Amino acid sequence: MLELDAITMRFGGLTALHAMSLSVAEGETLGLVGPNGAGKTTLFNVISGVYAPSGGTIRFGGQDVGALPQWKRAQVGIGRTFQIPQPMRELTVRENLRVAQRFGAGKEDPAALDEILDLLGLTHKQHADAATSLALTEQKALEVGKALAVRPRLLMLDEVLGGLEMATKRAFARTLETVRARFGLTMVIIEHDIETIKALCPRVVVLNFGQLIADGTPEAVFNDPQVIRSYTGDTPA
Amino acid sequence: MKHRMVVLVALVLAYGAVPLLLGSMDYVMSLIIAALTIGGVALAWALLGNLGGLVSFGHAAFFGVGAYTSAILVVDHHWPVLLAMVAGGVGAAVASVATMPALRLRGPYFALAILAYGHIFRILAVEATSLTGGAAGMLSIPGFPTLLGINLASKTGAYALILTIVLLFAWLYGLIRRSTYGLALRAMHDSELATRVVGVPSTHLKAAMLVISAFMTGVVGAFNAHQINFLDPEYAFASSWTVLPIAAAIFGGYRTVWGPVLGALVVFLVDQLVFKELMPSGHQLVFGVLLGGMVILGPHGLLPLLGRWSKKEASHAGA
Amino acid sequence: MLELILQALYSGLLAGGYYAMIALGLALVFGTMRIINLAHGELVLLAAYVAFEMERSFGWTPLASIPVALVVVGLTALVIYLLIGRIRQDRELNSLILTFGIAIVLTNLILMIWSADIRSTSNSWFMDGVVLGDTLFSMRGEVIFCVIGVLLLAATYWWLNHTWQGRALRAVASNRDAAKLMGVNPARIEALSFLVSGVLATFAGVAVYTASVVFPAVGHNLTIKAFVITVLAGMGSVPGVLLGAVLIGVGETLTTTLAKPSLQELTGMVIFLLILFLRPSGLFGRKGMVKK
Repeated sequence: MLELDAITMRFGGLTALHAMSLSVAEGETLGLVGPNGAGKTTLFNVISGVYAPSGGTIRFGGQDVGALPQWKRAQVGIGRTFQIPQPMRELTVRENLRVAQRFGAGKEDPAALDEILDLLGLTHKQHADAATSLALTEQKALEVGKALAVRPRLLMLDEVLGGLEMATKRAFARTLETVRARFGLTMVIIEHDIETIKALCPRVVVLNFGQLIADGTPEAVFNDPQVIRSYTGDTPA
Repeated sequence: MKHRMVVLVALVLAYGAVPLLLGSMDYVMSLIIAALTIGGVALAWALLGNLGGLVSFGHAAFFGVGAYTSAILVVDHHWPVLLAMVAGGVGAAVASVATMPALRLRGPYFALAILAYGHIFRILAVEATSLTGGAAGMLSIPGFPTLLGINLASKTGAYALILTIVLLFAWLYGLIRRSTYGLALRAMHDSELATRVVGVPSTHLKAAMLVISAFMTGVVGAFNAHQINFLDPEYAFASSWTVLPIAAAIFGGYRTVWGPVLGALVVFLVDQLVFKELMPSGHQLVFGVLLGGMVILGPHGLLPLLGRWSKKEASHAGA
Repeated sequence: MLELILQALYSGLLAGGYYAMIALGLALVFGTMRIINLAHGELVLLAAYVAFEMERSFGWTPLASIPVALVVVGLTALVIYLLIGRIRQDRELNSLILTFGIAIVLTNLILMIWSADIRSTSNSWFMDGVVLGDTLFSMRGEVIFCVIGVLLLAATYWWLNHTWQGRALRAVASNRDAAKLMGVNPARIEALSFLVSGVLATFAGVAVYTASVVFPAVGHNLTIKAFVITVLAGMGSVPGVLLGAVLIGVGETLTTTLAKPSLQELTGMVIFLLILFLRPSGLFGRKGMVKK
């Protein structure tokens, strides 16, 4: 479904992604881990069109999407969240989802919005101001809700569980699993908590210094000496 | 329900009471027509400012293009006046397409690039002598026809016409504002990234607002040409067509639909009836003071200010 | 024909001298505060009218009125600075509307005090012809103020690069927070940039009065011209401002010579739009005017 071939991203003298190749199959849930600064969020930004990569190709559903502007990537089915929630200010929670649905999915469907609000536990807050009246969990839920309203085939979640307490985190992870099954999503999840990754993702890839250093089941990856070294701070050989 | 009653009463007053009470006073009617003309441009300016997030210093460009397009179609090609006015709006909309490269500029540069377009259009109007009559202008431009038994060329008729135009535009503005397009546009100001990532083509939407705003301004410009029956480049592209609407929109509050129109009525009438009497030359100084004052004292304009005060009073009354 | 073109180039070059003074004032304030002072042309105009008043009332030569104009324009510039300081949110756009308002106020005050008549110096010494190499003609006032303009620009350039205040100003312009850490008070530097901008406007205003003509609506045109030059220069490079000013000056005189005077203004506008669209960082600059 998603195929990255030799993606390179340079910012001035800094190379954030080194000729990275990766493919994600339809229906797969992939965990994306790595130390801070490894290039995980940069990868999301390249896939969703925030940045144009310095080199390489991005294919999504068989189509080369590398030249599409950001808003068109949403329309072809790439949904994503931001690590720091980005609500549309001045609008209510429901209006946020309406805009995402109208432009991302192409037409308004109130029943589908009701379902998303219900799944994410936002129904009682749907007319609240999105920028000012939400608790952290609700902000994160809205972040996921906007991405879902786009009716994506690929959902990319950037530390959507970060900063949550353990109990809340588990509940939210279960919600994500429900949502995935309900909408038949392919997911890529950036997450630091290894237990959560193990619970959600049958396959994990590890980034370090803009390179893919491991790819496999959580058990295999987290026992890989190179991965362990990357977390203890050594530079790659 | 209460809201509807207010609108209904306002409509009856606007269409019935104003002409009945003031219709015989030509000077007062002229002032009200001029105020509504400015109100129409102010509304168009506010649509671009509020929903497009773009401050323009060049709406005189669209006003002038609309006026000339309509006048030329009627004088040289004998179009019916009302149809030509719509074409005037289309002409301004087409002109706005030429300004679209400016959309990728940041706010202040956009504002000034549009100003440059205004100057360019004015110079072109002077130079295209065969089409526009050059600096000498166009004389005896035909006025409005009689429609459904109402002579639109009379003061009362012209008043009814510009009132209808302004109300239609206000309705259109309200409609856009409430739609998902309006929601997305409002969200874009503070959260452009958040809107783009869910599929909102933000630049396209801004461009659409620019075209609609230019169209509205062009229609009002055309109305003005047929109402005063005369055009020259200095008049049609005068900076007043930019300054007064901005002052009106900011005074009335450009984030609301009615603010610019009410602002135009207040600002223009007070200026003409009070300040022009007090200081015959230089009375436009008041607009400058107004703009500066509004920016420093209340950046969202008068209507929100009034709202804040009345809320305060209400809470006092409740206590 | 060649003679006419050479004459146009020469006249344009001379005009560039005082255009540069006007534009540098605008560019300095823009550099430190990220604010386009739309009342800048009116400051220039105010200096011109002070010179006019001194000449009319006391028979002073325009050069002698410069100290008086410095006080008047300097104080006005400070008032504008203080008013801008009152803006609480979205300073970039609100300052545009505020200074637009101030420009309207100043234009109308000038109109009320000095009427809409066209004014120019009656001092014939400045209007005497100076002929360069038998063919290139100019008025003495044009030459004098072009030289003053270039000297002032050089002085400003030296001041920016070799004095503590100048360096502080550049520090604030390039990175406000870093400048604060270095112990620079940005508010004082901003006020200083307004003052220097006022000084440049004063000389420019007396130059315009002496070498050209003034009437109330001129202020608006001068602001636009200064902005166009600043965009050409790429915001904040002194040599760039001088080059941009000469380019506009020469462009205008060439248009007058080769086409017709009424198209003069069009030249500046078209160059301006071309630069904005084709090379938004300016001819000589790096700072972007385009959205990220």
